[in-house]
Amino acid sequence: MDSETVRRVALLARLELSEEEIESYSKDLSEILDHFSLLDELEGLEDYGFNPVEVADVLRDDEPGQDIPAEDLMKDMDTYQDYVRGPRLS
Amino acid sequence: MNASRLEAIRELDRDYGMFYSLSEDAALESAEFHFSAKDNLTTVDHETTAGSRMLSGWRPPFDAAAVESLRGAGGALLGKTSMDEFGFGTFSVNSAFAVPRNPHDRERSCGGSSGGAACAAALIDGHISLGVSTGGSVSCPAAFCGVVGFTPTYGRVSRHGLLDYGSSLDKVGMLSADCASIAERFPLMAGPDRRDPTSCGHPEHSERSAARTVGVPKQSLQGIPEDVLAVFNEALEVVRGDMGLDVVEVDIPVFNYAQPAYYIIATSEASTNLARYGGMRYGARGEDLDTHFDRYFRQVRSAGFGGEAKRRILLGTFTRMVGYRDRYYLKALQVRQALIAEYRRAFASCDLLLAPTMPFVAPRFDEVEAMSPLEIYLADHLTIPPNLAGMPHISLPCGELDGMPLGMQFTADHWHEDRLLKAGVEWDRRSEYPVPEARA
Repeated sequence: MDSETVRRVALLARLELSEEEIESYSKDLSEILDHFSLLDELEGLEDYGFNPVEVADVLRDDEPGQDIPAEDLMKDMDTYQDYVRGPRLS
Repeated sequence: MNASRLEAIRELDRDYGMFYSLSEDAALESAEFHFSAKDNLTTVDHETTAGSRMLSGWRPPFDAAAVESLRGAGGALLGKTSMDEFGFGTFSVNSAFAVPRNPHDRERSCGGSSGGAACAAALIDGHISLGVSTGGSVSCPAAFCGVVGFTPTYGRVSRHGLLDYGSSLDKVGMLSADCASIAERFPLMAGPDRRDPTSCGHPEHSERSAARTVGVPKQSLQGIPEDVLAVFNEALEVVRGDMGLDVVEVDIPVFNYAQPAYYIIATSEASTNLARYGGMRYGARGEDLDTHFDRYFRQVRSAGFGGEAKRRILLGTFTRMVGYRDRYYLKALQVRQALIAEYRRAFASCDLLLAPTMPFVAPRFDEVEAMSPLEIYLADHLTIPPNLAGMPHISLPCGELDGMPLGMQFTADHWHEDRLLKAGVEWDRRSEYPVPEARA
């Protein structure tokens, strides 16, 4: 993975990397992706699943409820008058 | 547990770094048994950091289901064990906090990512450690520390309260000095939980007849150093002779492709799971809310994640990108399905599979330092196949090499944990497990 691609991927992943990090990840990830090309040897595979076992749909009754009190969650947030403060949108 | 024993554990912990936090003695005195939880399982009375600066200081508002189950059965939580950040590692050195030291040689790694859990299982008498395995994070440290490490079928134990790494791979497991202790406590936490749909709708944990035939995948012995192989072959003779099991060779050609497929799925899922850490809801926060949200998130995430976490986020983001998704992510999902099919074919001719757990003994920290990221990823090639396929497995101590423990790993078909645990208890009776000099 060349340095430009690392920069592009970092932008998508919302990571800020130093030039030194970009160079180092570029080398590591190139080696790793070269190794992943081993999978190109396998042809003709079609079936796939997103979990290794069958997963059933589990639906609950559509009734309002609250598992955790809001104040217990808000203790970890920066709040102002019961609003959660966040960074600027523009 | 009285105050003097707890002090002895604290003293040990100062030398071995197995805990991020320990409980106060008052809570421990009346318990029926004591257990610890890997620090990626939420606990109301301890910080839960998953070894990351990103969650430093975070006190969750609920217990993980596995912790809740053991507390409900009279267990008391002794503490939270050290680990690789979010489970990203093989040697427990990728932590923002304590790095655990091997109970048999403090200059060596405990393995990972449940390194602190394995260390606690080895050093504390009668202890049960809750670990978590994504690609081998229970088996690897169990083998390196000379303890038993059990990983159930994917979905057998609720993941509610487990901080996600790879959602289709993560499993809560147990580590202890013997298999009998695990066989006794495991049913407490097995079973459906509506808070985790992947734990529902499966066959119940039940008792089958003991295994009669063990298959050794021929691919699992390829490239294993001769001295490691010699220890494994001696153990295999005990399996064949003393335990009276038939041993056959089996062929699982996709075995050798599991490692790259695993790292693609694991990092793809990790990169989406870790998107939730943005400095607003919990954990690390940014300093300047007046900045644009994109820059704010980048600043928080870049300061909060360690080097290996960033590497895996980059890798997983790349393998899901337009133009690469089919080549990497979709192909990896197909390899997983093919591996499951090949396991099924193998289990038509045997009840359990057996292989060495790790291809070497616990390395020294300077040896770990010298390894490239790819070399570290390749070290997991024996523990990955059952983890990728969601098959239950157990690592058991099977001998020593240069004074350090080695492990062997039984694997069973989905939902056949009972056969693994029976074989493990039989192995307990026939083996002398390594005992570290320091104990509490």
